[in-house]
Amino acid sequence: MTADQYACTRAVLDAEPEAAVVANLGVASWVLAETDDRDRNYYMRGAMGCTTPVGLGLALSIDDPVTVLDGDGSLLMSLGCLSTVGSCAPSNLTIVVWVNRSFATTGGQPTAGVDFAAAAEACGVAGTAVERLDEFRASLDEAAARDGPSLIACSVETVDTEGPDTYDYAHEYREHRFRTALEP
Amino acid sequence: MTWQDAVIDGLHRGGIDLVAYLPDSVLGPLIEQIDESDITTVRVAREEAAVGLLAGAWLGGQRGALLCQSSGLANCFNALGSLSVPGGLPFIGLVSRRGDLGDHNRAQVPAGYAMPRLLNEVGVRNRLLDGAGDLSETIDLAAETAFSVNDPYVILLDRTLTGGKP
Repeated sequence: MTADQYACTRAVLDAEPEAAVVANLGVASWVLAETDDRDRNYYMRGAMGCTTPVGLGLALSIDDPVTVLDGDGSLLMSLGCLSTVGSCAPSNLTIVVWVNRSFATTGGQPTAGVDFAAAAEACGVAGTAVERLDEFRASLDEAAARDGPSLIACSVETVDTEGPDTYDYAHEYREHRFRTALEP
Repeated sequence: MTWQDAVIDGLHRGGIDLVAYLPDSVLGPLIEQIDESDITTVRVAREEAAVGLLAGAWLGGQRGALLCQSSGLANCFNALGSLSVPGGLPFIGLVSRRGDLGDHNRAQVPAGYAMPRLLNEVGVRNRLLDGAGDLSETIDLAAETAFSVNDPYVILLDRTLTGGKP
């Protein structure tokens, strides 16, 4: 069974409306921008594998909740970063991994199937695997309440989208908009 | 003042809040000293993650520094070229540079010796320090320009400055 990435993305924003959200390049960012192009979204435009590290650095720097929307292909590129999440252990960080078992942004080539929740647990990060929207919502609530970082591996159908133009502004504008939105 | 003391002085003068690092033998004692200071330190598993982490720290209003060896900085090029530079996400790098005078390891030579040119090619300003000049002042000025113009700036520390492996 797989969940719908649009419905789950909406659930992320509903669960913690004030959260700063860092989204992986490609589909994760496109779906987030289509769902709600809010000032507290940071869309990665490159640096595959760096999405969770960006979220970690942000979580260490602000008190607000931080949610990462990573892709399975991206996290596989830098799975070792979970060990750093585990050793830093920020309680305001939730990592959502959209597990579609494919490089969805580049045409759906298959990724290796990995138990991301178990990998997270092995790194000292609370890991949960879900495949339905109601399970996902419950795990988001648990993550928000947890005194430590969480990873939610959410199995989703591969999204078929060319990507919106709604965030097609300059790279440095993304930085300015997001950073300004977070200023105390 | 030892070169390590000068680095810590420079980090403080430059307003650095957070240091992300992956150690080598040259930087090890320095990292221990930073750990004892009021600067937050994060040990990464791969240097490219440090570039991402420092980008996130900047987005959250903090100033970050990367400490690693030149071989590790070579791991960072996709993050530099597709995140730090186009995104306007600054940090300062303090990198122990291998591959030049006295280096015995052929594996350190191609990227280490070429590192100033490699950084120039992707638009990351940098300066190679071989012992001359004021290290603390240089770090302060690197931070001032990096966090003003929103670009990373890398200071390469040659063996003639650090003395190599202790």
